[in-house]
Amino acid sequence: MTNDLLNTRNLYRFFTLVCIGFYTGLSYGNDKPNIDGPTPSGCATHIHYDGEYFDFCDTCGCGSSGGSMGYGTGLNNNFFGLRYIGQEYRSRDGIFADSPWITENFNTIQAWANLPISKRIIANVIVPFQFHNRSLPDNTEQTISGLGDISVLGFYNLIAATPDSIVSIKPEHYFQLGGGIKMPTGKYDKANNEGSVNPSFQLGNGSWDYVLAMNYGFTYRNWGISTMANYTIKTKNPKDYQFGNQLNLGINAFKTYYISDVALTPIVGVSEEIYASNRELGIEVAHTKGDVFLGKLSIEASYNRYSLGLTGMLPISQNLNDDKVELRNRVSVYMNINL
Amino acid sequence: MKHSLLALSALFALFMTSCSSDDDMNDDDALTGSGEISIKFDNGYNGNDLVLGVENAANANGEKITINRFNYIISNVRFVNKDGEEYTYDKDSSYFIISQEKEEDQIELDDIPAGEYTTLKFGVGVDQEKYLQGSEGQGDFLVEAEENNMMWSWQAGYKFLNFEGTFTSESITEATEFKIHMGSHGSELDNYKEVVLQLPMNVRVSDEIDSNIHLKIDASKILAGATNSISLTEKQVIMVDAEKSPQIAVNTSEMFEVDHIHNGGGH
Repeated sequence: MTNDLLNTRNLYRFFTLVCIGFYTGLSYGNDKPNIDGPTPSGCATHIHYDGEYFDFCDTCGCGSSGGSMGYGTGLNNNFFGLRYIGQEYRSRDGIFADSPWITENFNTIQAWANLPISKRIIANVIVPFQFHNRSLPDNTEQTISGLGDISVLGFYNLIAATPDSIVSIKPEHYFQLGGGIKMPTGKYDKANNEGSVNPSFQLGNGSWDYVLAMNYGFTYRNWGISTMANYTIKTKNPKDYQFGNQLNLGINAFKTYYISDVALTPIVGVSEEIYASNRELGIEVAHTKGDVFLGKLSIEASYNRYSLGLTGMLPISQNLNDDKVELRNRVSVYMNINL
Repeated sequence: MKHSLLALSALFALFMTSCSSDDDMNDDDALTGSGEISIKFDNGYNGNDLVLGVENAANANGEKITINRFNYIISNVRFVNKDGEEYTYDKDSSYFIISQEKEEDQIELDDIPAGEYTTLKFGVGVDQEKYLQGSEGQGDFLVEAEENNMMWSWQAGYKFLNFEGTFTSESITEATEFKIHMGSHGSELDNYKEVVLQLPMNVRVSDEIDSNIHLKIDASKILAGATNSISLTEKQVIMVDAEKSPQIAVNTSEMFEVDHIHNGGGH
């Protein structure tokens, strides 16, 4: 990650994001994809729910490492629900300029929840189920499926939410700091990592990973901004493979429209995922670091305690695995019930 | 609030940077015993994959080449470790034929002493010492070379490179055969060449770790090399040629580069 940031492009992006975040007084917050170390595969969908959610996913098809995690951010948004994340990648099968591309589809269904622990503490739990497939150059298809890496995070609200009963005419801020673990519940199969350019074609990282996360945002009338940053520290798995640490940054703007009983919230945002090199036996693995900058469009509809969301993400620029892996798109659909 | 926000973010950023890069490098893990290093010779042509029978884009000489055979001899593999010591693989087992038509593109070297190696060295062709041992000393390799069209029938000796196909150029518009057979001419002209490749990262080997060095070969350099440029339009058959065959030998020795290293298996 340090190395990645030394890269001027990343630095510039990082700086821009940070500036946007802070200097507009808006900040950091919500949505962002998470990165995982391996190849970037990514997954990031995120969601916002009522303007304040975020999630991140990490590579390995998002799934593998924790898949995308969404944490709901503050604002009393406690919920549970299901989310589907689909990601399409293609990776170069070979070392030449004309080596064939193989298409990889990473699919994840997550059961996710934001549960209140105390007035200021929220637990975020994501249980992913993955089903990935890819078509190999000899026209055979490889499929892997199963439980992914479960993650559990805790968030602390630094700014107490204004009670619902008080209608505020001033901007309402939220700021959460959190951290947690991503457990090696998804299978890491070393064989999937051999003869393949994309090391993220896995159900899980196979390692205990640690997540630091920060969400900041505010709403003003029916407008809002949400930002998020999170960092996943990945450890060595039992096969002595270590996916690279991952930094995710994201910022979203949204506006909520009320149409009778339904609240409709369109969201636009950008996010950045930066992956450090993977290591095998303690040594960097060539062509495994990278970054991707994504644009996001999303819409969420809420009725009563139910929310339905739809998100599409497209890469604006990327350099994954020395351009040997390309993210094509990510989509996500979720259905939540507010507690 | 704003200040505390900034301070917190700064802290966060600091933390993120600090716990990153070289996490737990267990560099001190002792590498013991021995293991296998395999070397993949991934044949390409000017950045693209080399496919036999398919025409390649014009080279610097304006010649479009279709390669029908691309075989070469690799020998005398050595590794230099990080302390500068050179390990020489058993010489009698250190002769290999890389053949595109037979898809022989990988050599496996067993029992390499555990360690970290920084440099790969090998020869292209058969050295004089081996050659002068005659058929007895060359044993099975002689047979293997014969089977792979790497022997000259009309003279005792090896073709170090057998590069054949057809080409067209501005003046030769009809696909015309070319044949480049490069080797030493007895002991008079020694075309054996040594290649030294610095590895982009150390290759590690031990009882637990087998590793792979993935080489990228650029066959276009045989004709359009950095040192010599050879025009097929001028001469289509280069075999025993006191001037051109040494140039081919130099160009051939320059077609190798390391694409990546895979420590601990992998491709």
